[in-house]
Amino acid sequence: MNFDVELIVRSSPLLLAGAAVTIQITALSVGFGLLIGMFVGIARLSKLLPVRAAAAVYVDFIRGTPLLVQIFLIYFALPILLGARIDPFIAAITACSINSGAYVAEIFRAGIQSIDKGQMEAGRSLGMTWPQTMRHIILPQAFKRIIPPLGNEFIVMLKDSSLVSVIGFEELTRRGQLIIARTYGSFEIWLTVAFIYLIMTFAISRLVAYLERRYKIDDKH
Amino acid sequence: MINIENLHKHFGKLHVLRGIDLHVREGEVVVIIGPSGSGKSTLLRCINYLEEPGAGTITVDGIPLSGQANINKIRAEVGMVFQRFNLFPHMTVLENITLAPAVVRKTTRGEAEKTALDLLAKVGLSDKAAAYPDQLSGGQQQRVAIARALAMHPKIMLFDEPTSALDPEMIKEVLDVMKTLAREGMTMVVVTHEMGFAREVGDRVIFMDEGRIVEQGKPEEFFAGGREERTKAFLSKIL
Repeated sequence: MNFDVELIVRSSPLLLAGAAVTIQITALSVGFGLLIGMFVGIARLSKLLPVRAAAAVYVDFIRGTPLLVQIFLIYFALPILLGARIDPFIAAITACSINSGAYVAEIFRAGIQSIDKGQMEAGRSLGMTWPQTMRHIILPQAFKRIIPPLGNEFIVMLKDSSLVSVIGFEELTRRGQLIIARTYGSFEIWLTVAFIYLIMTFAISRLVAYLERRYKIDDKH
Repeated sequence: MINIENLHKHFGKLHVLRGIDLHVREGEVVVIIGPSGSGKSTLLRCINYLEEPGAGTITVDGIPLSGQANINKIRAEVGMVFQRFNLFPHMTVLENITLAPAVVRKTTRGEAEKTALDLLAKVGLSDKAAAYPDQLSGGQQQRVAIARALAMHPKIMLFDEPTSALDPEMIKEVLDVMKTLAREGMTMVVVTHEMGFAREVGDRVIFMDEGRIVEQGKPEEFFAGGREERTKAFLSKIL
């Protein structure tokens, strides 16, 4: 078998552009996922049963079904309901955000529950409302603790975003497929694609390790 | 100031408070003692609704406690000091004290900080404003916790075993702050095992056992021996 280095060099600009799209979709999805996850995570701890139940149904549904099927649901099934096509980019971001939100919700829930309940009591005893205590006392402490699992979720999302290639959205994996269809260079291209993913996930894990160190110092201080 | 009538509280099947009647006058210092599990902390925590009362009525400063409607208002008037301090570890001492006045009372930052520094001077910790809680000793943390509660200008202060988590040499510094408060006329309800404090500062001592008030009276009379058998048995073990 001959290994075509020149093909890799030639394809690199296209693949790197795809990687930029992958980063974009991951960052947006994790960003929205964080917002969704924070509110759903808090909702799971609500005193109100309907709120708690709704949050639990959402988390269970998302975690109990494959992301691939969720992408199909949003890109192919939802338009039938709406009577209008959905742009692949919007569909991809929506599916990944909703998916990420469920996992982030569980991370937030665990983080909030790990804070000593005396903290909530102290806040409430000073006359602060539940949301005020959440915002000023519980969440800032919980957030520091959940940085490592959130970083992990970021990495998982980055890898899983490859699934949106199935709806023709041109991120890194889809770009690889398209190049292979033209050049038949399966080995070279998939190896390069894997290597680019590896560099990206490695960069994120270093970033998370750095944040973790920084906040640890802050905590001690 | 505080009126409690026929208060009951269950934790599941456990009947922790079995009909408590308690009236605390303005400026009075009431000390609650009793064996662990007697319901004294639960009683204290019902007064600011950290525990929801089962049956009975509680009126604080003329306002009946009735669910979430007025609870934050009452809590702002009732300061609470916990056994385990419960300072906010991610904030400096100054931020710990200024947070609630800023959030609840909408006090300006400058004003809240001035009050905080005055209170820190009062509890003898002027030099610790910029410190974080975990840089302080237990006694210092508890004094900050008292300052934090006082920053809301409460009319009543509740103390839930404030010295039980402290090393012996730090107990005095906390009790001294509490004595100063009592002398200044603060209405106080104190759950404690510090009999010296009860005797010296208390206007009234209440002995609780098995969810009931067994006996109450002036400290000098109470510590002279008590009338009830259970009181005598308890006192003989601790004195």
